[in-house]
Amino acid sequence: MRGLLKNNFYATLPNVKVFSVIMLLLGIFVVAMDNKIPSLIIGYTLLCMIGFSLNSIASLRRECATKWSKYKITAPVKRSAIVRSYFWSLLLWLAAGMIFAGTGVALSILLHGFPFDKNTDIFMLLVVGTGISLFMGAVFFPLIYLGGEERNEVFLVVSLLCGIGLVMGLATLINSFFPAPMTPVQIVLGGMMILVSALLVFALSYPLTVCISRKREY
Amino acid sequence: MENILELQQVSKTFPKSDFTLENMTFSIPYGAIMGFVGENGAGKTTTIGCILNTVRKDSGTVKLFGKEMTDADIGMREKIGVVYDGDNFPGYWNARQLSGVMEGLYTSWDHALFQKYLEEFHLPAKQKITSYSKGMTMKLAIAAALAHHPQLLILDEATGGLDPVMRDEMLDVFLEFVQEENHSILLSSHITSDLEKIADYITFIQNGRLIMTASKNDLVYNYAVMRCKESQFLALDPKDILAYRKRDFQIDVLVSDGKEAQRKYKDIVTDHVSVDEIMLLLVKGERV
Repeated sequence: MRGLLKNNFYATLPNVKVFSVIMLLLGIFVVAMDNKIPSLIIGYTLLCMIGFSLNSIASLRRECATKWSKYKITAPVKRSAIVRSYFWSLLLWLAAGMIFAGTGVALSILLHGFPFDKNTDIFMLLVVGTGISLFMGAVFFPLIYLGGEERNEVFLVVSLLCGIGLVMGLATLINSFFPAPMTPVQIVLGGMMILVSALLVFALSYPLTVCISRKREY
Repeated sequence: MENILELQQVSKTFPKSDFTLENMTFSIPYGAIMGFVGENGAGKTTTIGCILNTVRKDSGTVKLFGKEMTDADIGMREKIGVVYDGDNFPGYWNARQLSGVMEGLYTSWDHALFQKYLEEFHLPAKQKITSYSKGMTMKLAIAAALAHHPQLLILDEATGGLDPVMRDEMLDVFLEFVQEENHSILLSSHITSDLEKIADYITFIQNGRLIMTASKNDLVYNYAVMRCKESQFLALDPKDILAYRKRDFQIDVLVSDGKEAQRKYKDIVTDHVSVDEIMLLLVKGERV
């Protein structure tokens, strides 16, 4: 697994380097700006979390330019371990995105005060970012094994749209359960439902992807 | 004699391309080098895919080290070194990063041995693989395949991108590898002169079918080609003819026992035959 994670890391690193620099500059701008209107912080947080996750799964395309995907199958690793390494890499890069976003939000609060109406807004922001990233990964990995790395771009867009759509759909569903205005407990409960659903779909996507990958020929 | 690799009636059909690998059967004993020859699209890479489980065979058995290999047989894959034609590794790596990844994949990865090969093959460790020449990428792949102490090397056109000097160096490396009696190599190649230099056995395939497997010594010392006129050709015993090919004014006939053919057909010129010529006669020639 260590070798596979290293492999995924090297594949993602060049894009992540560029993305990190952009996010760093954007972060400095966001932190420097007055946060009376929180849309900048919201945008920055979501961009960080989803952006890092997106970079992680987009790097799969870089492997298909060579015979490395085929070579890996001949190495002493199970196909399930290869799939697992992709899922872990996404989670690790999502965590990196959360750290980036969290640092930006914390610095902004330190310098300009709390920008949101309620404390639960920060939690919901994390839920939306994590939810979209996890749903995106859950859709992307089986698709890429089913359709091949050469269709990476299409699957990337489809899975990102699916991620956004699923989170929005769930949020709409939860809002219809709890009549407005929602209490903080109801908001946290709703957020937890989105988070658990995303984690569940992400976890269920793993055996499905393994099943598809076992049938894949190189 | 014990075999390191055994294929029995291995078949695979690709419905989209209409290509079928049919009943592929051959084996490699421990300590031997098997040359695997065939024209482009003959099924060499498919056969190697079936051996390594990158392609799922429809039927037949492939035994490695006496056992069928499944996805779960990690230990078995530790003992196999693979080199594919072209880019084996992502171009954005350098040799040092490659070593780091391989170290995490193979428990028997020998970093010192890999470094030794890098120096021996003049491969810069910090340079990105994408800026390597084709020859350098092939040498890197060979170094990586050897650096985890495999018992079986499977080389799919591994010498294709190398110039004659480099190829000769690599052939020496392969010969050194099989000095250990439990080491073997399956070398698929178009360059039959390489196989003549190092192979112990040669397997010919065409259109997904096995044409023949023979020891190289048998091919070089016993096989021969008779240069016949049409009238002489018509007088030949069909049992003696393995394959024949019509040229402008003569018919070349491949026979498996040159000395016997010389005794039997005294008026026909009989020449020694190269692996290249055998391949041409088997692939392009006709059968009786």
